[in-house]
Amino acid sequence: MIFRGRHHAHTHTQDHHGHSHSHRHRFGHSHDTGGFSIDYYAVNSGIRHWDPRFKAAFSMLLLLCCLLGNHPLISLISVVTAAVITVGMGRLAVDRYISVLTIPLAFIIMGSLAVGINFSRQPLGDWNLFLHWGYMYVTRESLMEMLFLMLKVLGAVSAMFIMTLSTPSFELFSVLKKMHCPTLLVELMHMIYRFIFILTEVQRNMRVAAESRLGFCDFRTSCYSFGQIASNLFVVSLRKANAFYDAMEARCYEGEFVFLEEDSVVPAKMILTAAVYFAALFLLWWFLR
Amino acid sequence: MNKREKTFFSALLMFVGIFGVTATANAMHIMEGYLPPAYCAVWGVICLPFLFLGFRNLNRQVKESRKSMTMIAMAGAFIFVISSLKIPSVTGSCSHMTGTGLGAMLFGPAAVSVLGIIVLLFQALLLAHGGLSSLGANCFSMAIAGPIVSFLIYKGLKKANVNKKVTVFLAAAIGDLFTYCVTSVQLAMAYPSPDGGFMASLVKFLGIFAATQVPLAIIEGILTVIVVMALESFAQRELKAIHFN
Repeated sequence: MIFRGRHHAHTHTQDHHGHSHSHRHRFGHSHDTGGFSIDYYAVNSGIRHWDPRFKAAFSMLLLLCCLLGNHPLISLISVVTAAVITVGMGRLAVDRYISVLTIPLAFIIMGSLAVGINFSRQPLGDWNLFLHWGYMYVTRESLMEMLFLMLKVLGAVSAMFIMTLSTPSFELFSVLKKMHCPTLLVELMHMIYRFIFILTEVQRNMRVAAESRLGFCDFRTSCYSFGQIASNLFVVSLRKANAFYDAMEARCYEGEFVFLEEDSVVPAKMILTAAVYFAALFLLWWFLR
Repeated sequence: MNKREKTFFSALLMFVGIFGVTATANAMHIMEGYLPPAYCAVWGVICLPFLFLGFRNLNRQVKESRKSMTMIAMAGAFIFVISSLKIPSVTGSCSHMTGTGLGAMLFGPAAVSVLGIIVLLFQALLLAHGGLSSLGANCFSMAIAGPIVSFLIYKGLKKANVNKKVTVFLAAAIGDLFTYCVTSVQLAMAYPSPDGGFMASLVKFLGIFAATQVPLAIIEGILTVIVVMALESFAQRELKAIHFN
């Protein structure tokens, strides 16, 4: 009886996990799926096997081009390139890619509105609107600036997504280590990365426990439960920190994690393609200037 | 204002209102590509001395006892998780705590500067909040300026023997508001308005984000008070371990 009951519970949780990863996201990202969909996509990416140094360098160079080039055409090229690499070669489902792209949408809209709209005491601009204490106006230039800015942010964000949607974080840390980032920092990143997942799991369990006891039934109770969960999480995290230290010590931790890494060589063809691509981008920028 | 303009204007207000209320999740992280390259570099350089001090501080702690390494890492993960928690809100929107005030009070501003930049890096990599090019600017507003203000207010009011709840509330809420002001200054410097320059633009950015950030700061203050009170009532031993007083 007990066995059956546990078995049932087990399959239920499995179902739940399977569901949380396999259901189709509507547009806009959901906060209830554990939140780390980007990491999940990165591990399952079709271009995961590419050398992380190559992906990081390509992504950062494209980001730099987007920022320094500062031209709508270059931003557009960046958006298209990123989509081709991430969706075409990385085999990420289109709707998932779009839902990841909408994460920065709130900031893009609010930030761009502030650039596009201006206020003044006199009626200025191509379109203006009289509010009680002054005019809100928009000029053709400010509208164009706003649109180009949106495009630039989209280009830059998608350039970064080439890296983050294809390279799991721990591979990026090894890139940082090869770039001689201080050991203490890289170690901290490795540990924090692992601890984040552990604490998130613990927090989710606490939240489910509180919710099933009507801990979030109204605003007042929600605040109280939130505080209880956060402080409990703090206590649990410190206890776990001690336990982890003992476990690491027992496995001969001496201040540095050593991971088995595959020695990958970037094929000359890929480097050449990337070089040609950036040369073309540079030439384009030269003509547009 | 004729009828068409009125409709247009109310539609615009509604649009801003909806986005302002429902999508505050990561509104204060400056996005990738939003700042011009020169500003990215300058904010990065401004962060360096603080990061250096924080790094030296952490290094000393780890040299003293290696055991503090896991403790520091857990503190970083704790700040990350706290800052990704959905906070209760009246409108049913979805917003997050910044966690900087709590972090600064618990772990000190020096440690928080280094942990903060790592947390921001993870937020950019794992959650797509913020970005790599704007890391310097975000680090300054959220991991350096906000925590330092929180910490100073906390220490100052404690010395003046103000009620503990009030102290914690003010430290967290004002730290949060200061972060938001610094971010607005950063945005306004990068995008001054054509006929009023920096100040007009600052007012614009402050105004656009105020609708969401002021209530958030108050909620953050209340939550921080609840957390600190709960910690003091049943985690005395743990608080002693991190030298919190």
